[in-house]
Amino acid sequence: MTLPAWSEQFDDARLSRVSVPLPEMVTPEWAWGGAGGAGVRVAVVDSGVDGSHPAVGGIDGGVAIEYAPDQPDSVHHVEGPHEDLFGHGTACAAIIRSLAPECELYSVRVLGQRLTGKGMVFAAGLRWAIEHGMQVVNLSLSTGKPEYFGLLHEIVDQAYFSNVMLVCAVNNVLAPSYPAQYASVFSVAAHLGKDPLHFDYNPSPPVEFGAPGISVDVAWLEHSTITATGNSFAAPHIAGLITRILSKHPGMTPFQMKTVLSALADNVRA
Amino acid sequence: MDEMSNSLAGLAQLAADIGPTLVPAGNEELLRSITESARQLFDAAACSLALLNEDEDELHFIMASGAGAESVIGMRMPAAQGIAGWVLMSGQAIAIDDVQKHPNFAEDFAESTGYVPRSLLVMPLETDLGVIGVIEVLDRHGHDRSETRDMELLGVFARQAALAIESGRLFTDLGRALLEAAGKAAGSTDLGNALRRHALLAPRPRADLAELAGLWHDLGEVGADERLTVTRVASELLAYLRTHRAR
Repeated sequence: MTLPAWSEQFDDARLSRVSVPLPEMVTPEWAWGGAGGAGVRVAVVDSGVDGSHPAVGGIDGGVAIEYAPDQPDSVHHVEGPHEDLFGHGTACAAIIRSLAPECELYSVRVLGQRLTGKGMVFAAGLRWAIEHGMQVVNLSLSTGKPEYFGLLHEIVDQAYFSNVMLVCAVNNVLAPSYPAQYASVFSVAAHLGKDPLHFDYNPSPPVEFGAPGISVDVAWLEHSTITATGNSFAAPHIAGLITRILSKHPGMTPFQMKTVLSALADNVRA
Repeated sequence: MDEMSNSLAGLAQLAADIGPTLVPAGNEELLRSITESARQLFDAAACSLALLNEDEDELHFIMASGAGAESVIGMRMPAAQGIAGWVLMSGQAIAIDDVQKHPNFAEDFAESTGYVPRSLLVMPLETDLGVIGVIEVLDRHGHDRSETRDMELLGVFARQAALAIESGRLFTDLGRALLEAAGKAAGSTDLGNALRRHALLAPRPRADLAELAGLWHDLGEVGADERLTVTRVASELLAYLRTHRAR
């Protein structure tokens, strides 16, 4: 029998087993009870991470990406340790660490040089994360430039097909910005709550999840702590929870993760 | 075709040079009103607008109201620095309650403005072309402050300011704007493409002429009589120079 293209993979003999069959009774205990993020690789794509900050507790590696128009991909990669140029990457890393203390953290620095070529650098950061086996990627940045729509969409699809969970802070302007706008990412804004284990699910996207991000105490430059507000602090809360869930349920795919998160959201459980 | 190209290029240059004369009167007034209204609405110590320069390496404060406003206007700072720098690059708004805990913040700020805030709300100014600058609100004091509502409200001001700035730029970039508009409207594909190509190549206004055109625009706002006086002085000077050169 001639099968249409793509049909062979659904043959009983070839179809891979789903490691996390759903539905199950989804409770916080089932989802993350006893888990600390062990074995999960998480990338913070931001301004760099100060691994020596006590709230970060060390990082496992990273790369700084700079705009270099004379290079083939218009970017230059510098692997290895680097500093946080603004403080924001350290804040995100510390939030993730607080929720998933045993995870492997990587810093992908794409902010800090200059704005020229921002989209290219940003795209290269995402590619690096996918190619280096990151399973969760926290992005607190976005661009509204239409010319990057296609490029970023292609990379975000690639992430989805590789089961990489992209967690994106939405920006504050009521206009599309990428990649937060794409359907496959976990798009996050700040909600009014303070409890890091509580979040909301919005059934009317594009913004799907609400997590703490208002007047939160966050790690900053030179081992300091500041009190800050922004959607960009809500995203790492969701990234941290995803990391924790993934360490207990390896192999979960992004849409399964969204299903689990939606079942655990305060507004759904209530 | 060469002749047409030359004419188009000439037209683009001319339009770019005189563009600043045509910037809608009141644009600057609108930006002043935006910073002042935002300051009053949030019962804040100050509010300012800063724009990215053409090389995208510096922020230039073009408008401010409240504490330190006079020293803030005209101030320049590296674009890749501090909290405003992160906002520019990430495109994300951020509010910080206790900004003095930010290393080096107090010294840097006090040095440049003479006023050191406790809290800061910074939001990107964004158009379809990307992030063009930031709006900052220092020390909000309102009784029923809500961080989310403040961000939403400032978002409206930011949008307004970004649109005003963009429309001002369209006039200073009039050569491009005209050719692009003509290219879109052109019935013939060849002509449309030629116009768009020229729009891409259209030169920036020549600095001296653009400055003169800008002065002209400001004079017009002061009054018709004043503009006439300056025109007469300029014509007299020109006549004098011509006679003396002729000798």
